[in-house]
Order: sequence, then C-alpha cells, then structure tokens
Amino acid sequence: MLLKLAWKNVWRNRLRSGIMVAAMVFGLLGVILMVGFMKAMTDNMLDNAIKYQTAHLQIHNPDFLVNEELEAWLPRADAMAREIRGISGVAGVTVRHVVDGMLASAASTRGVRINGILAEDESAVTSLEESLVDGKFLPEKGRNPIMVSKRSAKKLNLRIGSKVVLTFSDIEGEVSGAAFRVCGFFKTPSTGFDEGNVYVRRTDLAGYTGLNESHEIAIRLEDGDAVDAFRQRVEAVVGDSGIVRDWGEVQPILAAMQGTMGISNAIIIGVFVTALGFGIINIMLMSVFERTREFAMLMAVGMTGGKVLRLVVMESLMLGSVGSVLGLLASSLMIAITGTVGLPFGRMAEGLGAFGLDAVLYPEVTMATYLGTLGMLMVTSVLAALYPARQILKKRLSEALAERN
Amino acid sequence: MSIQIENLTKIYNPDTDFPVTAVNHVDLQVEQDEFVAVMGPSGSGKTTLLNMMGGIDRPCEGTVIIDGTDITQLTDKELIGFRRDSIGFIFQDFSLLPVLTALENVEFVMQLQGKSRTECEARAVELLNDVGLGDRLSNVPGKLSGGQQQRVAVARALAPKPKFVLADEPTANLDAQTTYGLLDIMQQLNEKEGTTFIFSTHDPRVIERARRVIVFEDGKVAEDRVARAQKPEDRTL
Ligand SMILES: Nc1ncnc2c1ncn2[C@@H]1O[C@H](COP(=O)(O)OP(=O)(O)OP(=O)(O)O)[C@@H](O)[C@H]1O
Ligand SMILES: [Mg+2]
Repeated sequence: MLLKLAWKNVWRNRLRSGIMVAAMVFGLLGVILMVGFMKAMTDNMLDNAIKYQTAHLQIHNPDFLVNEELEAWLPRADAMAREIRGISGVAGVTVRHVVDGMLASAASTRGVRINGILAEDESAVTSLEESLVDGKFLPEKGRNPIMVSKRSAKKLNLRIGSKVVLTFSDIEGEVSGAAFRVCGFFKTPSTGFDEGNVYVRRTDLAGYTGLNESHEIAIRLEDGDAVDAFRQRVEAVVGDSGIVRDWGEVQPILAAMQGTMGISNAIIIGVFVTALGFGIINIMLMSVFERTREFAMLMAVGMTGGKVLRLVVMESLMLGSVGSVLGLLASSLMIAITGTVGLPFGRMAEGLGAFGLDAVLYPEVTMATYLGTLGMLMVTSVLAALYPARQILKKRLSEALAERN
Repeated sequence: MSIQIENLTKIYNPDTDFPVTAVNHVDLQVEQDEFVAVMGPSGSGKTTLLNMMGGIDRPCEGTVIIDGTDITQLTDKELIGFRRDSIGFIFQDFSLLPVLTALENVEFVMQLQGKSRTECEARAVELLNDVGLGDRLSNVPGKLSGGQQQRVAVARALAPKPKFVLADEPTANLDAQTTYGLLDIMQQLNEKEGTTFIFSTHDPRVIERARRVIVFEDGKVAEDRVARAQKPEDRTL
C-alpha cells in the first residue's frame, strides 16, 4: 500500500511532476549527446592517428628520439622487421628511412619530413594508400616518384606529374638533393600531418642520403587493445638495438585525452545530476510542505517516522526513476540514430582537420555510462528526499495537526 | 476500558512573559462504552485536552492512565504504537488520503498494524457497510460529499479496533442533516462495537445526542453532567 500511495502521490500534481520529468528528459538528452559526441571525437582522433600516423608500436634508435638525425639509424632494422612479422597477431610491419628536408616547387618551398618507404609494407601498416585522392601510390617503376598531400599540392601549386626538388643533408653532412616527380596526392584527416610529410621510395632516398639503413619501424597489430602484450614480445626481438614505444608514447597528448575523457565525462554528468538533485529537492519540499497536515494525520494514526521517511524517499525515487528511465531511453535512441547516420560537420569540417578529425562523427555512449548515470540519478533522488522528509519529521505533531492548508 | 485523568495541566510558552494555561489541573474519568461530548467556548482547551488524551501532545503535569498504563510516561516510539492500536482519530476536516479510495483509506491504518490483506479488506468492507457506504468503496474522497467523507473517517477510526475514539469537532464542517446522520452512525457503532467515543464540539445538536456532557471553561471542567440521550427517532430537526 505504501508503494501505491507513493506512486499516486507523485502524480497528484501532474503538471509539477511532469515538468520535472521533462527537465530530466531534455537535460539527459543534451548531456548524453554531448558525452557521446566527446567520446566519438577522442576515439576518432585516436583511430585516425593510429591509422595514418603512429600505428600501434614504433621502434627507433634512442638517439633518434632526442634528435631526428640521419646518423641515428636503427641497426638490423630489416632483420628485426622480418622477425616481428613472424609473430602471430602482427598485421603489418613497415621500415622507413626518414630525413628532414625541404620540398621546393617552382612556386614555393616548405619544410617536410621525407619518408622513404616500401609501398607494399606501408600499406600493411597505415591507411596511406586508401587516403590517396589522385594519382598513384608510389609505383615501382618510373624515376623518383613522390607522393605529397593534396594540401601541400595546393600550396605549392603542384599537379600530378609536376616536378619538385627535395633538399636534405646526406650522411657526409653535405647538402644533397634530387628532383622527384609527383605521382599521387594523399589526404588524411589531419591537416598538420599532411602538410609536414611526403613519401618517396626507400631505395631512392637511401641512394641520395648515402645511408643504406633505416630509422623507423612501425607495427600494426590485429587487435589494437593488445598493445601491451605485444610490446613485450617486440621488445624481446629488439633487445638493446632500439626503443619500442606504443602509440600513446608517440603521441602523449592523444593518450592523455583518452585517459581524461572518462573523468571529464563523469564530471559533466556529475554536475548535471547534482543540478537535477536540487530540482528534485525543490519539488519534494513543495510537495511535502503542502501536505503537512496529511503527514500529521498519518503520524497521529500510528505511522512511524521511519515509514514517513520511506514514503517520501519512495516518492522522490519514483519521480527520479521515471525521469531517468525516459530520459535515458530517449538519449539511447538519439545516440543510436546519430551513431548510425553520423553527425556531419559540413563547413566546419575543414577546421576539424587541425585536430585530425573526420568530417562526420558517430556519437557513441557505453553501457557503463548509461548505467552509471542511472545509478547516480537514483542515489541523488534518494538523497534529495532526505532534507524534505526531515523538515516534515521535525515538526511537533500537535502543531502540524493544527496547521491549516 | 477506562481512562483516568489526574491533575492534567498544559501550559503553552511556560518560560515567557505570557504563559497560556490551556488545561488547568483537570481530573476526569471516562469508562467503557461512554459517548462523551466535551463542549466549551473557543480557546477553552478542548483540543489540548483531547491531544493529551490521545498521546499527540504531552502534558506539563499530571497523568493520563489508560487501562492502567500512564501514557505520559511512554516514549515517543511507544506512543506511536499506542495511538495506532488503541485510539481512533476523527478530525474536523476529515483528513482522508485524497489519492486512495474509501476502502483503501480504511485498510491503510490496519495495514500499519501489520494485519493481513484479507483481514484488512474484510473489516474495511464491513465498517464501510456499517456507515452506509457499501456502494462507495472505490470512490476517492474527492468523489464523496463532506458527510460521506466523515463517515469514511469514522470507519477508519474504528478499523484498528481502538479502545476509544477521539473526535475533535467532527461535525464542524457538516450541515444539520448530515450531522444527525453521522451522529446516528457513531451511536450505532458505539453500541455495536462497544467503543468509547469522546468528541469536542460547539454544536448544540451534538450535545443533545451525547449521553454525558463535559463543559470546559478556561481549561477547567466547569460542569460534568449525564444527559438523557435521545433516541434517533425523537430528534428534532
Ligand atoms: N501551540 C500553542 N501555542 C500557544 N498557545 C496555544 C497553542 N495551542 C493552543 N494554544 C492556546 O491554548 C488555549 C486552548 O487552545 P485549544 O486549541 O485547546 O482550545 P479549543 O477549546 O480547542 O478551541 P477551539 O474551540 O477554537 O478549537 C487557547 O488560548 C490557545 O490560544
Ligand atoms: Mg479546538
């Protein structure tokens, strides 16, 4: 009977309770969409970074990490790569010859990182080949092909087949350079990466630098969540020859973003739930005070303070549950829709490139977030009932009975 | 059943410059089956007296002994149980739960006693039949007239089989016709259930139906007389 009484009491003032429920539903829609969007954003940034830039693991000469110089090459690079390729669960390994230099066209010049790669190995590790928007992906034939980003091409006024000159220091410390012919344009989600990288055949580059070694090994795993396990196996192969780093160490900002996203989401939800809690306290206070005489009557006929408290808590919890469940259902529906259709950014997409984001994001909210929010709301609803219940319980019975309302 | 009141005193605001002695050294005895009206002018202390008899308020002095138990010595928790099991309350403004039906309003107080569902329902139906609302069991108070609501309240007061019923101005909000109807029902139940009724009133119509009238003035019993209760047939409208 207490349950029934509580439920009916909640809907005594339909308008008031309805407004509270509506506030919860719309609030939850906003907060959950925001949380889902933030998660989509960080996940997308991470995915893109891993896909196009860092892969899962990288190996370098420790000196290279301090100063990216030509001499800081990685001993036994190709042999290690072969061995790592043999580990099951490794999807691809690419060995790069890397040097910083200048890219010059007839129109302009810019500083770039020149990546000397083996086309086939690179495609097993990064999505560079899929990001090709025009031309060919470093063909095996032809003299000195070079792949530049669409963005650089625009700035340097290049077309497929245009001639560019790369300048860099060779292993003797002398300025060296060569003419390359643009074979293709790539376009990754990150504008910064696009502007700073060009790709040539490793053999071509090694020929000009005079160093028949490589600097960087990048590894892609079949299971991106198993990085830690594989890292140890890769380290066993590498030994003292180099340093193995995972994507988080290569791009610590991204790792930090992922690490703090959970906390920042919890804070957003926490602030929102607290605000709702005050709303519920307010509603429960009004509802309880206008029933002072009714509670007095109940206590006069033998209802204990504990039962009165239970009644008020139940009412608050019921109100909170209806709002939370409806709100979370509406939110999950909205996340399901936007998560499938995607949120397109249209004109803003260009700006998002600076963060390495795709133009369409797919909001995603974990079950744990839904349940956590629900749990927080339930606890808050219970807490929000305590103060109003106390207000009613501390009145003197004879005075409460004499009150007119 | 007996209620024995000795030296009962209630002073409001005792430590201020304007203490109000609402009940002033009252001695009183009420026996089983009595149908007692406490009458007196406004502010004479009727409500205060009834509250102390019902364990709703505590006296400053004196004792209220009910069947040998001095209820002024009970703890708050014991008092709640005492009120629940031993006293039926009827209020001037009916004080039903608006969201529950007539039947549920009566059942609810029995459920507080921890009685079984079937027992509660059987007794509630019986009592609502007794007060003439057998066909209104599932009406909520808002769908009942004032007199009907007060009859539900009478059924509710009797439901826990209390030792006595305290009614503070039960007919103040009712018209003459309804008042007599209600008094008839209270008298019948007084006889049928053997439950003592004590009610306060200003209303001469009620007094003429009481078998004992206690006149209260300035917190004291000014007069305590046994009236010749009229039978329902003799009443004058
Ligand atoms: N809580 C209180 N604080 C101070 N004085 C009070 C309080 N309650 C009642 N009184 C005073 O005590 C006296 C008796 O009040 P009580 O309500 O018992 O009278 P009553 O006979 O029931 O009056 P009425 O017929 O108007 O209901 C009055 O003078 C009243 O002003
Ligand atoms: Mg009074």
